Amino acid sequence: MSSRSARRVRRAAESSCAFTSSSGRIVALTLATLLLLLAGAGSLVASDGDSGGPGVQAETFTLDNGMKFLLVERPEMATVAAAWVAHVGSANERPGITGMAHLFEHMMFKGTRTIGTDDAERDLQIIDEQEAIQDQIRSIYRDLRAKARRGEIEDPYAAENRTPEMLELAKEFDALVEEQRDIMIKDQLDQIYTENGAAALNAFTTNDMTVYINMVPANKIELWFWLESDRLMNPVFREFYTERDVVHEERRMRTEATPTGEFDEQFDAMFWQSHPYSWPTIGWPSDLQVISKSQADEFYDLYYAPNNLTGILVGNFDSTEMKDLATRYFGRLERGDDPPDVVTLEMEQLAEKRMRAECDCQPQIQIRYHTPAFAHRDEYVLDVIADLLNGRTGRLHRAMVEGEEIASQASAFNNADKYAGSFTFTAEAKGEATPADLERVWGEVVDRLKNELVDERELQKVKNLFKADAYRRLESPFFMMFQLALYEGLGDWNYLNTLADRIDAVTAEDVQRVMNTYFEPSNRLVGHYFRKAGTEARPMPPELEALPPEVRTQVTQQLEQVRAIEDAAMLRQVLGQLEAAGGQVPEEMRPAMELLRKAASERLEELESNAAGEEEGS
Amino acid sequence: MMLRSDSRQTLRVVLVSLVTLLLGGGVGVAEEEVPKHPSELVYGDLDFSIPRAEPLRHELDGGAVAYVVEDRALPLASISVFLRAGAFQEPADKVGLAAITGRLLRTGGTVSLTPEDFDDAIDFLAARVSVSMGETETRANLSCLSDVIDECLDHFFEMLSEPRFDADKLEIEKNNILESLKQRNDDAQSMASREWQWLLYGQDHFSSRLATSASLDAITRDDLMAFHRRHVGPRGAVFAVSGDVETDTIVAELERRLADWDSEAVAPAWPPEKPDHEPVPGIYLVDKDIPQGRVRIGHLLPQRESWEAKDELALDLMNSILGGSGFTSRITSRVRSDEGLAYSAGSFGYFGDHWDGEFDVVYQSKSETVIYAAKIALEEVDRIRSELVSTQELETAKAFLADTLPAQFESSSQVASLFARDEMLGRPHDYWYDYQERVSALTKEDVRRVAEKYLDPDKLVMLVVGDRDAVVAGDPDGRATLDEVLGGRTTDLPARDPLTLEVISK
Repeated sequence: MSSRSARRVRRAAESSCAFTSSSGRIVALTLATLLLLLAGAGSLVASDGDSGGPGVQAETFTLDNGMKFLLVERPEMATVAAAWVAHVGSANERPGITGMAHLFEHMMFKGTRTIGTDDAERDLQIIDEQEAIQDQIRSIYRDLRAKARRGEIEDPYAAENRTPEMLELAKEFDALVEEQRDIMIKDQLDQIYTENGAAALNAFTTNDMTVYINMVPANKIELWFWLESDRLMNPVFREFYTERDVVHEERRMRTEATPTGEFDEQFDAMFWQSHPYSWPTIGWPSDLQVISKSQADEFYDLYYAPNNLTGILVGNFDSTEMKDLATRYFGRLERGDDPPDVVTLEMEQLAEKRMRAECDCQPQIQIRYHTPAFAHRDEYVLDVIADLLNGRTGRLHRAMVEGEEIASQASAFNNADKYAGSFTFTAEAKGEATPADLERVWGEVVDRLKNELVDERELQKVKNLFKADAYRRLESPFFMMFQLALYEGLGDWNYLNTLADRIDAVTAEDVQRVMNTYFEPSNRLVGHYFRKAGTEARPMPPELEALPPEVRTQVTQQLEQVRAIEDAAMLRQVLGQLEAAGGQVPEEMRPAMELLRKAASERLEELESNAAGEEEGS
Repeated sequence: MMLRSDSRQTLRVVLVSLVTLLLGGGVGVAEEEVPKHPSELVYGDLDFSIPRAEPLRHELDGGAVAYVVEDRALPLASISVFLRAGAFQEPADKVGLAAITGRLLRTGGTVSLTPEDFDDAIDFLAARVSVSMGETETRANLSCLSDVIDECLDHFFEMLSEPRFDADKLEIEKNNILESLKQRNDDAQSMASREWQWLLYGQDHFSSRLATSASLDAITRDDLMAFHRRHVGPRGAVFAVSGDVETDTIVAELERRLADWDSEAVAPAWPPEKPDHEPVPGIYLVDKDIPQGRVRIGHLLPQRESWEAKDELALDLMNSILGGSGFTSRITSRVRSDEGLAYSAGSFGYFGDHWDGEFDVVYQSKSETVIYAAKIALEEVDRIRSELVSTQELETAKAFLADTLPAQFESSSQVASLFARDEMLGRPHDYWYDYQERVSALTKEDVRRVAEKYLDPDKLVMLVVGDRDAVVAGDPDGRATLDEVLGGRTTDLPARDPLTLEVISK
């Protein structure tokens, strides 16, 4: 697959999935890995009917209710790769409900009136009762936010600031959760698919779309029609608030516990000024705290009508039969109003923006420019530009990784989303080089592309790779389904068929023109990332700061050793020695001695309480 | 509701079939045509049989083996070669030599082409070429348009047999690796995999050894030349070939090039040395300022005795129920779905190929709930050892293992690679032929038996990379305390310098 679609896939997959699908030994196989593996594994299954290059001959039809379908028959397979795209993503949210599209995606796995419960009536009653309690909790949060604004408390959502009333409400809520569990059939959607050999139940959300995917044995495709149409018709958002906690964990995993995650999130927010792309797909944490089930209901009514959906099937089936099944199952959905469009346009940027970050990370740079949306004529030229820059024979590698040897890696990518695009250059500094050095050489690379026409052979190389990749893209049926979903979500699946020709038509003059159109300082955001000083270190106890450096190191090492002692008797001995030596220690060393004594007694206490715990347990 | 009576279900199926028959299954929005519950759906048989390996297997002159799967759907060919060469052959003071040799094979040019000319040629041909040298195995891949396969194969074989190991490129690669070493402590994930490997296998085995600035420094171009000369050759090579190729032609082309490969490589010392380490049970903590603890809980499992042994699949099945297959598995269901304590939580277990394997519970949870989640996971480990699993769990997991098998044989390149892997691992092809029958023969007693035999709560090691103090403080709502998990015996693992891996305390 082309580096471009690989990146798109990765980006889309990283934007948040419902859960990590897993099988056999590998538990935490993320969707991204899965797709890259599949794409790399390379199956050769497409049979392109036409001569003159690769293409996907998808059969398309639209049901009376407006739901569109794409079908690609692959008779050699024993499976069907299946998906449906909801044309809604985080760009359709508004302040206050950021993260809704993604949380909603999670909720679509929680079941329906038929799937997931023994007692649909009582289940719905419980959900209403839970919602009433949560409404009360939300109104207390309103007071707590006011308190925080006045500075009376720090964090309105911190555990220690919960009011007694809230704790009481939480208890009532938990009791309802328990009751609901008794009539719930846990994760039944997943269970039914699993027992029928469907291996890839998953979903992901991006700025522009929400996609629900699976891979089903060819003889059981009707199961997909049944379960997917059911969850579109009769979804029940049970376990809404537990799932919100799962999303908080997902945010910690993807954003907060990674070296640059939180800075990258702010980089995005800084880049987009007026456009809703500025907030993260996973949502701002404060919105996640108060998002409600009734807001999810509204979201469903607005965006999950069949006229806003596209179904996609790639695999071993008979298209006529699929049309019948689609009509019979998805035909039951009622057409809705046309969903609102995203109307806010990005304001033209007037001045260069810059960000300086310090993190537990390699010194690095990120420069991003505003560029056109998906399928704009300049987008193809920007694809070519990215590939002129990338790879071992690309200009970035030759200028920075080799050449000046200031980067350990450098790359560029063109990301044209549905409503607007961006072009990003990133590189990691090497040796003594700084982000400023990387910026300087990037400037030289840009200037050369602006001032000199690219060499014909260099351009041809990029086109050759695109052409071969156009075939490679068709190798894996699962990946083909994925791309159809992605391009359909961006606006047009047929992009897959026209891309190679559009790329082939790009000229050296186009490259020069586009470089001179978009690559201006006033159109960009520059981010410099620096390694935070002493990132791996424990914070130094203030008592040590006055000591000479070599003594300081010795003392901290001894502290580590003391904290690692497993044997209580040994610790008592250490404490005894410290006491005994106490009188002879010079005045300036007293604080260090006191620190050691404190660490040893704390450790001893810990060991003793552990031992007590063991006795109680046995 | 969980267990429907068989007779009632049969009756429903018959009724539904009857209705479908009467209505002729035609188009139209008729509610009654849609069964009320998916259990009422009736499926035809799946048209699938496992491809046989024997007709695809070709013994080449000189002892190499090739699996060739023709597929003319696209004008692409894909060729992979597996060799028994890797880190197990590198000297202890030159850790990283195998990995660097692999990288330089690809990036260091050939005798006839400078690195730049080699890259230009490959890119202009629109080919994709990669090489990686792992612990015990080296793999090189080529994907190209079939009309330029000869030229691509020439480059591919020259790359493998006559590398240049350009000195400037070696310096660049070494410096790039040095930059990646600097990032070792940035990401909790890389810290966790390092410490976990050491806790389970010790620090001395070649699979545990990690490059340092000093070991990188010690690696010279002569080392690469010697390592390549001694260990990389056509002897014992296994090829996986698929795509738009003609079997006889490609076999002859491979044989011709293998005959031209003038190699002094010697047969590898085999089997590789095994780790000699006894893990010490307990909780190990690595302090890092992040809001979420990255956790692994597990212990060693034995090396595989035989691929045919019943325990192989029974272990897969047991793990699938315990934590290996998403929401339907117990750990995921309780830790994530019931309690919302993690986004990702599950388990895996496997017998080792060449030395011990391992059983692992893996999850990430906010610091305060790390211990609570551990308590739940450990309860599940105990439960699967002591109680029989339910019929539904057993049947779901069995169906999953059996019915997802076809997906492993979906494409020609998957088939070729799978059979080539069999050859490298010594896994008999029969393993696949009767896989589904062997899965269906497994029972609840098998699941409990392997759980009891192989999972040992007394041997569990737990590693947490995260905010140490917040983790050991336990659950603020009092649902779990440290001493409820592995006896609460904690050991703080020291911080390490990313370049030297020496213990530091700054």
